Amino acid sequence: MSDELNSLDPYVQWIASEARLSVAVDPAARTRLLDALRTEPVPHRRGRVLAWLLEPRPLALPPLAAAALAASAVGIGMLGGLAIHRDGRPSTAQPPSAGAAISQLPDSIAPRAIKFVLIAPQASHVSLVGDFNGWNASANPMKAQGAGMWTVFVPLQPGMHTYSFVIDGSHFVADPAAPIAPDDGYGHRSSVVLVGGSSL
Amino acid sequence: MSDAADVQRVLSGDVDAFARLVDRYYERCARFAVRMLGNRDDAEDALQTTFLRAYRSLGKYQERDKFSAWLYRILVNQCRSIAARRNQRERVFVREEAVLLNAPDRRPNWSGEDEEFVQRVLAELDPLLREAFLLKYVEEMSYEEMSTLTGVGVSALKMRVKRACDRLRARWERIKDE
Amino acid sequence: MMVPSLRRVVLSSLVLLSAAAAAAAAQDTTSRVRELDPLARLSEGARYQVELLLDSAKVSGLPTTPLESKALEGIAKRADGRRIVAEVRKVFRSLRDARAALGPSASTDELNAAAGALRMGITPAELAHLVKTRHEKQLTVPLVVLSDLITRGVPRDTASQTILSLWQRGAADDDFLGLWRGVERDIVSGTAPGVALLNRAREIPSRGPPPAAPPASSARPDRSENSNP
Repeated sequence: MSDELNSLDPYVQWIASEARLSVAVDPAARTRLLDALRTEPVPHRRGRVLAWLLEPRPLALPPLAAAALAASAVGIGMLGGLAIHRDGRPSTAQPPSAGAAISQLPDSIAPRAIKFVLIAPQASHVSLVGDFNGWNASANPMKAQGAGMWTVFVPLQPGMHTYSFVIDGSHFVADPAAPIAPDDGYGHRSSVVLVGGSSL
Repeated sequence: MSDAADVQRVLSGDVDAFARLVDRYYERCARFAVRMLGNRDDAEDALQTTFLRAYRSLGKYQERDKFSAWLYRILVNQCRSIAARRNQRERVFVREEAVLLNAPDRRPNWSGEDEEFVQRVLAELDPLLREAFLLKYVEEMSYEEMSTLTGVGVSALKMRVKRACDRLRARWERIKDE
Repeated sequence: MMVPSLRRVVLSSLVLLSAAAAAAAAQDTTSRVRELDPLARLSEGARYQVELLLDSAKVSGLPTTPLESKALEGIAKRADGRRIVAEVRKVFRSLRDARAALGPSASTDELNAAAGALRMGITPAELAHLVKTRHEKQLTVPLVVLSDLITRGVPRDTASQTILSLWQRGAADDDFLGLWRGVERDIVSGTAPGVALLNRAREIPSRGPPPAAPPASSARPDRSENSNP
């Protein structure tokens, strides 16, 4: 195979070698993929369609809300644009692409479990506040997942919601990966999440 | 830890084994998807769908196939669907200021911006030629593997690869003389 | 007909479902309890004025939740009572103007998104023009994107005209979100916001008939149904 490569025109060889260089991978996309996989049923061997149901086995329990309701990631907000690799190394990769998520479920007015994520390595406590919980910092505290990542699942009605993160009780930050809500008027920016459903 | 062993583990209920497979192939698949589709958003879509599909149909994977080839078949098909769905002029990944693709007299600036240039040049290839070129010279697959993957005969694939190289070469000649 | 172990699985799922539903309901109750007297932390004067605005909203058939929410937000952010009243009043006025522009059939989300856009400097006339075309689609997403872009530095007119043009050409929610994502990235990479928007907007294919006459013209578009690809 490499013989054939060497016999190529040098310019084409150069194109090929440049194309072989690895591309920057967005860690957020990979995390989203793993999250999506977690909500999939375990694959089974072909021909034993109901095997996984019929075999006595303990049910894997993803977060309660996610088990009962469809989950969709809002995006991974990163303070200061600093991305963190899964092993904790900071990187200078570009900010993640996901912002407001639209759930793909068909018409329904049932609430959806929406996952909020913030990467804030310096924080001791992070809370999610917004118009769905009266901007109350004790309603939806977030969990530290390691490497500075904080997450929480919240059931939200389909539609538009405004929210913000509160760090250490008093520092309000918008979600860097979501659309910015029109002026909050109080000197802090907030974010918008759009939850899919019959209204959107 | 071989791929086939990991697949068996997943089918026996060890879903973390799939995370290992993802780790092993994500970057390589990402490279193909970006080179093929020309922009990160489409590539991420392709990757997401590819791995989800692979996970869902893992039961159909047969040990005698190479896992990478099996995975790539899904990836190649996903890239094709996404390209077809977009149904617009090929987009090129640009890092800095936006470049208008339909400005043919624009000089490609490749001093220090190699990746952008290569991406642009690849984008100018017909998708089937690009696909064959990438599989052969970037993924370094054999023609037999490529044939199984794409469902196209070996000689047709060789023809596509050759044409891709000819076009790239011809493009270079034009650039040189500008 | 159900196999015993399958039934067990289904029952377990139902338990999970009801547990989750109970958790969600409990959360709702907690919020509702707080909402019973949510404005207690306001000073008397501020509270009175906010209540007045709430009443005005009720009387005008406007949703009161956005106003309450604005007050609660201010309380959480430890804003001065006077500022909270001013902000709630701003929301009230912009909702009222949004309602006038969008008409009685607008959803609460559309009203909120439109009110936000008005507060960002979009004119009622521009809003009305959005409404005149493609009535059956919701305006929420384009308006959210529009407000965001202006906040990020896209000149107001550029943002407004671009969004309107895309809307008229039949852009869907996904198109606007994709646009937003692309522009956000480009701005972060150093592109001027207006340039970023114009460039990304070009990537969106037209999904319907050609755009209507621009707002300045007096001709009204007489549109038969749009065809979507």
